[in-house]
Amino acid sequence: MKKNSSNKIKLGIFVSLGLVVLILAIYYIGEKQLLFQSTFRLSGVFEDVAGLQPGNNVRLSGINIGTIESISLVSDTTVRVDIVIDESSRKFIKKDAIATIGSEGLIGNKVLVINPGTGGKKSIENNDVIQTAQPIDVDDIMISLKTTIDNTAIITGDLAKISTNIESGKGTIGRLMMDQTWRENIQSTIVNLKDGSEKFVVFMDKSQQIDNILLSINSNIDSTSAVIQDLSKIASKIQSGEGVVGKLLMDQSMGQNLDSTLINLKKGLAEFEIFMKMAQESWLLSF
Amino acid sequence: MENNISQQSKTENETPEIVIEESPRILTDSMFKKFFLEVASITTFTFRFFKEVVKPPYEFNEVMKQSFLIGYKSLPLVAITGFIIGLVLTIQSRPTLAKFGSESLLPAMVAVSLIREIGPVITALIFAGKVGSGIGAELASMNVTEQIDAMQVSDTNPFKYLVVTRVLSATLMLPILVILADGFGLLGSLVGVNIKGNVSSYLFFSQIFQSLEFNDLIPAIVKTFFFGYAIGLIGSYKGYNSNKGTEGVGEAANSAVVLSSLMVFIIDMIAVQITSLLQG
Repeated sequence: MKKNSSNKIKLGIFVSLGLVVLILAIYYIGEKQLLFQSTFRLSGVFEDVAGLQPGNNVRLSGINIGTIESISLVSDTTVRVDIVIDESSRKFIKKDAIATIGSEGLIGNKVLVINPGTGGKKSIENNDVIQTAQPIDVDDIMISLKTTIDNTAIITGDLAKISTNIESGKGTIGRLMMDQTWRENIQSTIVNLKDGSEKFVVFMDKSQQIDNILLSINSNIDSTSAVIQDLSKIASKIQSGEGVVGKLLMDQSMGQNLDSTLINLKKGLAEFEIFMKMAQESWLLSF
Repeated sequence: MENNISQQSKTENETPEIVIEESPRILTDSMFKKFFLEVASITTFTFRFFKEVVKPPYEFNEVMKQSFLIGYKSLPLVAITGFIIGLVLTIQSRPTLAKFGSESLLPAMVAVSLIREIGPVITALIFAGKVGSGIGAELASMNVTEQIDAMQVSDTNPFKYLVVTRVLSATLMLPILVILADGFGLLGSLVGVNIKGNVSSYLFFSQIFQSLEFNDLIPAIVKTFFFGYAIGLIGSYKGYNSNKGTEGVGEAANSAVVLSSLMVFIIDMIAVQITSLLQG
């Protein structure tokens, strides 16, 4: 009897354990689907949901805040997506929020990503219709990728041709890399260039000195031009008969005066000579 | 005497001819007959079970006792199996996921496969091996030693006392064993993940519950009731209707395991079809 009751206790523990595990599992799975939290609903209309399924996550800033409740085809180009979101994150989703369909990874599940909208706007209400943006279809990516790959194939084909040409020594680069004489020529050219550049450095040093000379010539020319200006002023003054030289050269009357003065002087000198001869011959000076 | 012998030799001579001519038909006929008889017998047995299960008096104490023996006593076996399956599944799946660079999906993948399919089926098979054969052998030996007849004589309903209690216990205990096996399997998976990586148990379980949905859990649990019911019923049927000989015990135990294991797979196949139909 005692054993029987201990067996019953063990059975009770066993069954309770199983039920506890089941209840925990139901609770945690239910929590993810927001069964035990207050929620609100939104809907959005897409042209194409790209494989989104009921039960997929809804994300705001990378955090799971809700799940897709249902997806229904409204018309041939319109799909209505109903979502359930945790009430506590409602204040972050504004009226102008935009929903897009993203992917958890390259091969992962689809997710509905909500862009929260601008700060100043009012928060979204229960049963509102959220704005949507069309998802980037993987097929589109594949099509553009194919063009890229085709181009890459052409480019690599060309590159292969180029490398074959280079290998066989065709063209400038090919000859450069493969032709022995070209290589030697280029080597000697480079040596010459080096030599030339060294000489050029020396030449540049010398040209520095020439520079200095030219600079001093320049300053001389400056002062010469000042002298010439002065001379030109003097010449113009002379021309206009200003000053002694001007008058001497340009004044007619002064010339005549000077001329008569010189005649008078010449006359005076001749008379003075006669007077001196007479004086020499006079008695007064014979002592 | 001589005449007899000559007759006998005559019949011996004739017999092979008959066998050659008619054996395939007889064989197929008897096989079909046997098969349909078996089906009819199982159907009657099933109807009798449903009739007896609702009819008072109820053998609660016997159900408790059987539940203890069938459920509690199977726990260590099921727990070890579940743990190892979780561990091995994780280690085996890692290289494949690593090829895609998605080792972080390991807990989610193991959890989904463990809870949806591997946990219930492996546990049911272990359960069929342990409990199905046990019930079959026990009832068959009771049948052989005429204890069942004795019960009938002493005005105890042997069907109610032996079959209904065992089938009910098996039906109720297997789901609990499966839930616990899933739990141990996830623990094994946590160990498996941490052999080559470093994942905290919190992250591990939060990843698991992120990936699981009620669509994974509920159908998996519901189908285990059917597994348990089939194992209990087939074990009881084989034991209850065993041949009255010593070999009847072994045969009953053996065919109980074989048939109930097969039934587990058949029910699983039907369950997956119904589940996908309901999920649309």
